[in-house]
Amino acid sequence: MLSKRFGRMAAGSIAGAMLMAAAACGGSGGTGGDATSSAAPTSGASSEAPKSGALKVGLAFDVGGRGDKSFNDAAYAGLEKAKTELKADIKELSPAADGSNRGELLRQLADAGYNPIIGVGFAYGDDIKKTAEEYPEIQFAVVDSASNAPNVTGLLFAEEQGSYLAGVAAATKAKSGHVGFVGGVENDLIKKFQAGFEAGVKSVKKDAKIDIKYLTPDGDFSGFKSPDKGKVAAEKMYQDGAEIVYHAAGDSGLGVFQAAAAAKKKAIGVDSDQRQTVKEADLQPVIMTSMLKRVDVGVFEFVKAFQGGAKGGSNTIYDLKVDGVGLATTGGEIDDIQDKLDAAKQDIIDGKITVPSKP
Amino acid sequence: MNADTLAAVQPAVELEGITKRFPGVVANHDIRITVEPGTVHAIVGENGAGKSTLMKILYGMQKPDEGTIKVNGVEVAFRTPSDAINAGIGMVHQHFMLADNFTVLENIVLGAEPKKGGRLDAAGARARISELAAGHGLRVDPDRLVEDLGVGDRQRVEILKVLYRGARILILDEPTAVLVPQEVDELFDNLRELKAEGLTVIFISHKLDEVLSIADAITVIRRGTTVASVDPAEVTARQLAELMVGSELPTPETRESTVTDETALKVSGLTMEADGFRPVPKGTSIPLYVERLRAEGRRLLLDDVSFEIHRGEILGIAGVEGNGQSELIEAIMGMRPVHGDISLDGADISTWSTLKRRESGIGYIPEDRHRQGLLLEASLWENRVLGHQTRPPARKGIWVNRRSSRADTERIVKDYDVRTPSVDTLALALSGGNQQKLIVGREMSGEPKFLIAAHPTRGVDVGAQAAIWDHLRNARAAGLAVLLISADLDELIGLSDTLRVIYGGRLVASLDPCDVTPERLGGYMTGAITSTEET
Amino acid sequence: MPAGLYRALLTVVGAIAAIVLAIVISSVAIIAAGASPEAAFAAFFDFGETERAVVNGIVTMLNRAVPLFIAGLAVAVGFRMNLFNIGVEGQYRIAAVCAAYVGSTFAAPAWIQIPVIIVVAMAVGGFYALIPAVMKVTRGVNEVIATIMLNYIAINLAAFLVRGPFTGERAKGVLTTTTPTLPESAWFPNLNVLFEMFGLPAPRGGGLWGFLLVAVLLGIGLWVVLERTRFGFEVKASGLNASAALASGVSPKKMVISAMVLSGAIAGLIGMPEILGDKHSFGSNFTPGLGFLGIAVALLGRNKPAGIAVAALLFGFLDRAQGPLQFANVPPSVIMIMQGTIVLLVVIANEITSRIALRREERRAAQQLGRNTPVEVAA
Repeated sequence: MLSKRFGRMAAGSIAGAMLMAAAACGGSGGTGGDATSSAAPTSGASSEAPKSGALKVGLAFDVGGRGDKSFNDAAYAGLEKAKTELKADIKELSPAADGSNRGELLRQLADAGYNPIIGVGFAYGDDIKKTAEEYPEIQFAVVDSASNAPNVTGLLFAEEQGSYLAGVAAATKAKSGHVGFVGGVENDLIKKFQAGFEAGVKSVKKDAKIDIKYLTPDGDFSGFKSPDKGKVAAEKMYQDGAEIVYHAAGDSGLGVFQAAAAAKKKAIGVDSDQRQTVKEADLQPVIMTSMLKRVDVGVFEFVKAFQGGAKGGSNTIYDLKVDGVGLATTGGEIDDIQDKLDAAKQDIIDGKITVPSKP
Repeated sequence: MNADTLAAVQPAVELEGITKRFPGVVANHDIRITVEPGTVHAIVGENGAGKSTLMKILYGMQKPDEGTIKVNGVEVAFRTPSDAINAGIGMVHQHFMLADNFTVLENIVLGAEPKKGGRLDAAGARARISELAAGHGLRVDPDRLVEDLGVGDRQRVEILKVLYRGARILILDEPTAVLVPQEVDELFDNLRELKAEGLTVIFISHKLDEVLSIADAITVIRRGTTVASVDPAEVTARQLAELMVGSELPTPETRESTVTDETALKVSGLTMEADGFRPVPKGTSIPLYVERLRAEGRRLLLDDVSFEIHRGEILGIAGVEGNGQSELIEAIMGMRPVHGDISLDGADISTWSTLKRRESGIGYIPEDRHRQGLLLEASLWENRVLGHQTRPPARKGIWVNRRSSRADTERIVKDYDVRTPSVDTLALALSGGNQQKLIVGREMSGEPKFLIAAHPTRGVDVGAQAAIWDHLRNARAAGLAVLLISADLDELIGLSDTLRVIYGGRLVASLDPCDVTPERLGGYMTGAITSTEET
Repeated sequence: MPAGLYRALLTVVGAIAAIVLAIVISSVAIIAAGASPEAAFAAFFDFGETERAVVNGIVTMLNRAVPLFIAGLAVAVGFRMNLFNIGVEGQYRIAAVCAAYVGSTFAAPAWIQIPVIIVVAMAVGGFYALIPAVMKVTRGVNEVIATIMLNYIAINLAAFLVRGPFTGERAKGVLTTTTPTLPESAWFPNLNVLFEMFGLPAPRGGGLWGFLLVAVLLGIGLWVVLERTRFGFEVKASGLNASAALASGVSPKKMVISAMVLSGAIAGLIGMPEILGDKHSFGSNFTPGLGFLGIAVALLGRNKPAGIAVAALLFGFLDRAQGPLQFANVPPSVIMIMQGTIVLLVVIANEITSRIALRREERRAAQQLGRNTPVEVAA
């Protein structure tokens, strides 16, 4: 009808009112700003210094946020450990669903006096760099991305090594030699998981069949939080004869477990010990093992090092050697092949096997 | 009604002081009508006098602002049509509301299906319908598809449908508008039988001869209020007409002929397939191709239609709706592909777009103004631009010339007596007659050479009707060629210089309007008379 | 009271009622989530404590609003003639990756470089929208289905291009894939000077995107095209009454094609503020989903450029609170609940108020009629 005519006024009045209110609030709060705050952004130095003595740790999650029972929750576990053991004051933020405000979250943490600040996920690479330049007095860490500023520590994990062991376990356990891999988003990080897994499987059975499926293309992070898509992908693999499916799909992994339970087959979890973190009792038994990526260790160790006065500018690498990656043994399903796994692990540590990081 | 003594003394329907304020159109004001049971009571009035509003009130489709309605002596307040149906009132609409691909039986029971254990009780329904049909002389075969029925049969289905729901009071809204004279006689026979059965019929019409022949009582409505209740035995059609109009009756008669020798529009061999346009195969001429289509038994919406219209001539096309009139218009306007040739002022326009045809001087008063003629949610001046967006005064380069469009709309409002508060008023706030006058004014501007006038006075009040006729006549005198398509036979006979009859997509007769009666015209329109006579 | 003023007042009342209701509904959701509504609504207006933080907040909101505004415009062009271009999502992504790549292949003065990138984006977006338009015109394929399908193709194609032919160099240890970085001549200057003019500190990050100006000009331009030109009239006529437009010589095929291409060309611009003003490349972190949000923005803005601007600002305002809400321990999903309820309620409120206004207009028209009409009609 002719209602089109009135639309802009309605919407106008709403946002107009909100804008004014916002400006008013901001103005009244802004009087306390220090004199140097009008300096150019790169000069930084504007944020309030954190209160001396109090350790305030800020952490910004990747898309998917807290509660994915996987990657982000592993990071949070490290943060909680810092809270209990180091008496740190912690704050964790999740980004918008489209990940458009990562940089803004880091700045808000910085402005609220948090130091150090951790960005969880390689997607924080660019934003950490920019924010670190704006706040040179604050220490940053980024998980899965290399250090790119003097006050940034890169926390890197050798996912391909852990995935190699997962591949060995899967190929040994799957009698038919048919396994599957579900990746959340087809980006280079998840491809590391795929590459290691494939290499591990092939090391046991040269002619093994490996089904590969990514849920979303690069740039579309919804693949990490779509259990429905994960379920469909895994169902297909199980129907086609796959016995064990390994997922590196964050929250979407839940769907893989559901498919496994329905097909009465096994799955391999990722990042956390998912047999413990997954709450659904009927799903726990299908999780044969999990490829542990000790983001919790990385986060906790970084905070501890910060407390000890460490500065950024370098990368810390978590691989098999330091148990930064590995396989979970909860449930005892891989106890019988532990010797084989230990041998493979030792070969990697000794450099006898070089695991590829690209499929 | 036999034994019920209460009902015998009470009027079937009694309306007291009904008032409905309704923006934009003529409202009802202090309507008083008493309908005795077992009679045919006619309500007459010009189009737009408020009859339809009144019937909608009586049928529960609208609530009156003031006044009371009594049915069989009991005061009622209808909120929805189902309340009215429960009170024994049924309505047969002017436009049939039937599902074409259902049988008669299915249509009748639709919405009131008799159920037996959750399934349609077809046998029970059939028995009841047969009983009703036999009892009231409404003969239709319950198993035929509605799409195979003629107009008269469809109307009987509508009446049966209402009776099936238990109606004792029937409202018939302009029931004869779609019927040819022979069918009207049949309908009246049916109504007399219904009356004999004790049912009450409220008959809405503006055709006075019919009213006088069937009604037992007549109420006249003018400008939204009841002006007289008369006994049909005591009035003449002329008196009744004057009561309705409140002044002298206008006639559509065209006086002296203004037909010239110059051909304005010529169409030859227009043929349109029912199942979609297909180009003529290479190496075949159009007549041969059409011949082949006929031989294959394909249904044709237009079948070899040819005619010429000269400057200053009005060519009337008579026909029952759905015999190819709409398709003919769409073909000439270039809205639908067709085989055959169309030329305007000697130029072949067969391949031109609708826009180019309009630009070269074709005006179009569409049959359905809401569907094809207006942007209801736009202002009057924007409606003036419609169809003229590429021509001055509406256009200035790539821009719409708002100022001159407004000014020209003011001109139309003045010259064509469009009653509106301003040219910025939305078209939907205007009454039907004023909307139509705006369209006529728009289509007459830009000096068209040829005008298609489809039902130009349908649903407009008598003042507007006379004005539109005058405008057509004046334009004709100034040399305009007009193709007039109408369901109003008086209008056709009165205005046309030449009269053609379309039946089943063919032009079946060419008649002289000076010497044809509506009855004979009706014979041609229904295919009852087939011989073509030359004028 | 003049009709315009009455309508405006009525609309304001309707909007306030809608907002109040939206707040009530959101409060219920917040309480259900175990948080405090007061804390939540305070967070929406908490722009930080320092001047710099306030400026940052405002810039975040505006930078969010710019692409949403453009997306709303793109969707609205189709909506105005009842064409549902759901494909804005795919159109802007494919346009963004192509424009970012083309822009990185050469270096020219900014006044050439930037317009070339913008033209490429519009051309690619327009072309990608042409596909469903041609399908609709020639084969009658419903544009909703065609554009949804084309979205999948576009998203995957863009992902392929950025990983394959269009991929750029990247530093060791970085896992994001991007097109090559644009030369500095393609970096759209920011508008931080606006804040400095008022003695406020410059915002952090990329600053206030200069593309804001382009968006404003685009909005004004589109308004002129839609409201003042012959083309705009034909769009309006086709949308209000397609059969009347056809009978008036407006070619429906031509209109479908031109409206879709215009919509796609505008959609091509959605990614430009981010690429030219901030990221300087198309990559893994490019913001997805703006095309779908554009549908909600256009709906809220009633397909009018000014309304869309306000709707985009409102969405930007709500989205900005993502961080503050979490500081206040309120789940940030409350933003989406609020956006949803506001769109729904404002649409309902507008429908109701416009009906009231229409009824009043009709009454006025009828009164006017009564006054002007002679008692008897002359025959």
